[in-house]
Amino acid sequence: MEQATTIPLRARVNRAAYFLRLPRVSLGLALLVLLLFLVTLPCLLLLAATLTWDVGDIRLSPAARPGAFTLFHWWRVFASDLGEAIFYRPLVRSLATSVSVGLLAVGLGAGLAWMTTRTDLPGRRLVAAMATVPYILPSYTFALAWLTLFRTERLGGGAGLLRYVTGLDPPEWLAYGFVPIVATLTLHYAPFTYLLVSGALASVDAQLEEAGEVLGASRRTILRRITFPLVLPALLSGFILTFSRAVGTFGTPYFLGAPVRYFTLSTTIYSSMVTRTFATGYILAVVLIAASALVIYANQQLIGSRRSFVTIGGKGFRSARMRLGRWRAPAALVSWALVLMAAVAPLLLLAWQTLMRYPDDYSLGNLTLHYWIGGSDPRLAEGEMGILRNDAILGGAWNSLRLSVVVAAIGGILGILVGYAVVAGRRGWLARLLEQQAFLPYLIPSIAFGALYLSIFSKSLGPLPALYGTFLILVLACVAKNLPFSARAGISAMLQVGGELEEAATVAGASWLRRFGRIVLPLSLRGSLAGFLLIFVTTMRELSLIILLITPETRTLTTMTFRYMEQGYAQFADAIILLIVAMVLAGDLLARRLGRLELGT
Amino acid sequence: MRNAIVLRLVMGMVALLGWAGAARAATAPGLDAWLRQAGFGPHQEARFDPEALYQKAKAEGRVTVYSYSSRIVEVAKTFEQRYPGIKVQAFDLDSAEIVTKVLAEQSAKNYAADVVYMKDPATALHALKNPGHLVAYVPGDLVPLLRPEYREPFLIHHLSFDVLVHNSGGEAKAPVSSLWDLTKPEWQGRVQFPDPQVLPEFTEVLTTIVQHSPEMAKEYERVFGKPLQLGPGVPDVGREWIRRILANKVTVAKSTNDVAKAVGRAEPARAPIGFTAMSRLRDKEKDPKLQFDVAYDLQPVAAVTTGVLLAVPAYAPHPAAAKLLIRWLMGDAKGGEGYKPYFVLGDAPTRSDQPLPSGMRAIERRWHADPSYVWANGRAVLDFWLANLK
Repeated sequence: MEQATTIPLRARVNRAAYFLRLPRVSLGLALLVLLLFLVTLPCLLLLAATLTWDVGDIRLSPAARPGAFTLFHWWRVFASDLGEAIFYRPLVRSLATSVSVGLLAVGLGAGLAWMTTRTDLPGRRLVAAMATVPYILPSYTFALAWLTLFRTERLGGGAGLLRYVTGLDPPEWLAYGFVPIVATLTLHYAPFTYLLVSGALASVDAQLEEAGEVLGASRRTILRRITFPLVLPALLSGFILTFSRAVGTFGTPYFLGAPVRYFTLSTTIYSSMVTRTFATGYILAVVLIAASALVIYANQQLIGSRRSFVTIGGKGFRSARMRLGRWRAPAALVSWALVLMAAVAPLLLLAWQTLMRYPDDYSLGNLTLHYWIGGSDPRLAEGEMGILRNDAILGGAWNSLRLSVVVAAIGGILGILVGYAVVAGRRGWLARLLEQQAFLPYLIPSIAFGALYLSIFSKSLGPLPALYGTFLILVLACVAKNLPFSARAGISAMLQVGGELEEAATVAGASWLRRFGRIVLPLSLRGSLAGFLLIFVTTMRELSLIILLITPETRTLTTMTFRYMEQGYAQFADAIILLIVAMVLAGDLLARRLGRLELGT
Repeated sequence: MRNAIVLRLVMGMVALLGWAGAARAATAPGLDAWLRQAGFGPHQEARFDPEALYQKAKAEGRVTVYSYSSRIVEVAKTFEQRYPGIKVQAFDLDSAEIVTKVLAEQSAKNYAADVVYMKDPATALHALKNPGHLVAYVPGDLVPLLRPEYREPFLIHHLSFDVLVHNSGGEAKAPVSSLWDLTKPEWQGRVQFPDPQVLPEFTEVLTTIVQHSPEMAKEYERVFGKPLQLGPGVPDVGREWIRRILANKVTVAKSTNDVAKAVGRAEPARAPIGFTAMSRLRDKEKDPKLQFDVAYDLQPVAAVTTGVLLAVPAYAPHPAAAKLLIRWLMGDAKGGEGYKPYFVLGDAPTRSDQPLPSGMRAIERRWHADPSYVWANGRAVLDFWLANLK
């Protein structure tokens, strides 16, 4: 009897030990623990909070006993009279806008990516350089630009440009609500897909397409049967990232939706946080998590097991460009118009705005450099100095830079590791769990994520001291919140690195660390560079996530812009935005240069 | 798979324990010792002695203030000049963010803030002061100069007025004379109201109007010559007014600044009217094209006032410097350097010896938002607003 149980047990122990010695498994487990701590713990706390009376809930119900269990918040959101106003209507609108933005942005981003990497589009280098600019701008910049063009009497504040020129008010559907929200967010988020798809296309060997050509396939067939399937994982990643980002964004739907009472889940969550009905905000966040979990599931069904293709192999590599022929001129026109609209126009508008003594007065006599280099003038902006002479702003710039670089480095490497563990163990539960975990932070609205981190890390947690007020808590929050980016980029990059190279190294006796450091990491770096860049940019513009976590020593540029904006000093706010853009562009250039050196091309 | 589930459960339990621990950390045995040592509450020195405080504050070296207003930066400058050796760390946050941060610091026992300077006295009182996270401080020399409601439960720094404004480019006179005029068809889609979900002071405005339902009922009869019929399910006259302005397509603005611009920069003949902070009047100096004025003769009330408060979080690490800074912010009989940034059109000082800022017309017909009433009813009023915001 005893023997009968010990033998299988030992066998099982041996099997487990062997299993654990596999690098993908031990690495996967280590990552899982890390993600549980950074991601799942906040989610569980969030869930617990939806089931607990909070101190402020005495305002909602006389039955509230702070700290005790309750289902009240769930009832309030789903079944009370308020349900339609705070849940059902916003949900429908959120889904409608985000799905539209997802589809349009993927189409736009992928189209531009294909034209700049695979065709002889005139001026493609410049188009490529500009295509990422929209993402650098805070998303509400587009909303504000849209309002400048289409503002109607409802908002007042002087005529919009359209009314100024034509004397007619634009129709309300064009000025506010669904159409402008979708249009501005599409321009803003198309770079996601652009970066992912151009990364994927850049590593597609042209020989694959030429093989099709040799076999007599038409250009369209090659696109449809070869190129498209190769970039499909990147397209789907692009859709998911865009969808979840659009669903969670606050500024644009608020600026463009609120005047006509077009409220979405994100604006409702934001106002729940501001009015301190946290549980309501958290429940809406849980709904977002559930909706997006469905999207991930669908994605896994699509690319999980079959639909991925190894394009970086051990053989030679060549890329060639397709001739656009008679489509060259129209394609150029459209690309240039898009890029001008999305990148140049908003920047020019911003720059112009920083030079205006009084906002909204476009005459030449109104120009000044005061907001850049001026001294203290009590008649303007409460006597604050121009941003280039303002120590607080320069200190903020240093903090922003430090934070973005550190977060991009840590996040990017973490992403590659997650990508490796997920791709290497694609069919296992560990891989699936990791992938799901890594995606979770995206669904928690930034402001809620910040509030959760504040509550978790403001007291000591096991061996960890209280992190409130440290730089580390900002890094942790940003790394965790950006995991979906970095993990997607890591997975996409890893999917393209063939196993044959690593297998060869294994046969030759290389240790895992050596294989990873010498083969896997360098090969996936090109694809992951996009991921690093996205994190760098996102962190640079991060506001709602960190606003609750910063202290005077750790405050960043963005936390200063929103204040200035609120107080009506658009000049300062825009000048700081331009400063951020300049820093991001510098980072972008540097990253590209480094990437090129790394690859030796 | 089972391992993962077990792991998740364990982590979940750990998380819930942590949560529960946080909830229980509220009572602090050392509070009285801190009050005694720092000189607050029953232990506060009777006489305000700036020199003695300065000596102590210099030893503390700095003071951290969470402020709802960016103007604190100027106060910090003048304070540092007047009291060399004390560094001010001014932190510009929304009132709701201040509450969140103070609560987090209190539960973490990681005390950073020395002074909070914020709106929303209802939340400050019930979420912070009553549970013992915030103590009031009124400098001894100011007591005779402040009415009781500006000393209790907090020191009120100044009053902020929320008013109805109209375009003054054509007619100088306001086009409406009653709050009920806003429910008439000619103002459909032409009334601006700042989003009460984002700006808590406008929840105070709505709630205060509800509190004064009897006056609103009388005013309705004066305007329409017949008693008001409440809509189905509407419990009081104040809410009926809210329901009707929403049904009249009021525009929800994102800030007081936007209302001022929408009203002040529109063509006079077609300009909307809107509620905003009276202190927006000072924008007219910055932007000559803004043309708007307050509807001073509005019935039954021309303004709702709310207090901006100053207080000290429990266990503040630099109590002497906190006291000095609070006193500096309160200024002197002529305004004073510390008060100067707030000595502007639309903000009324609470010190009885200070005049109104030049050019500011006194509004006698005003309702003061009552923190206890707002706390008890504000959320329900906001929910009513939401439910009718179609």
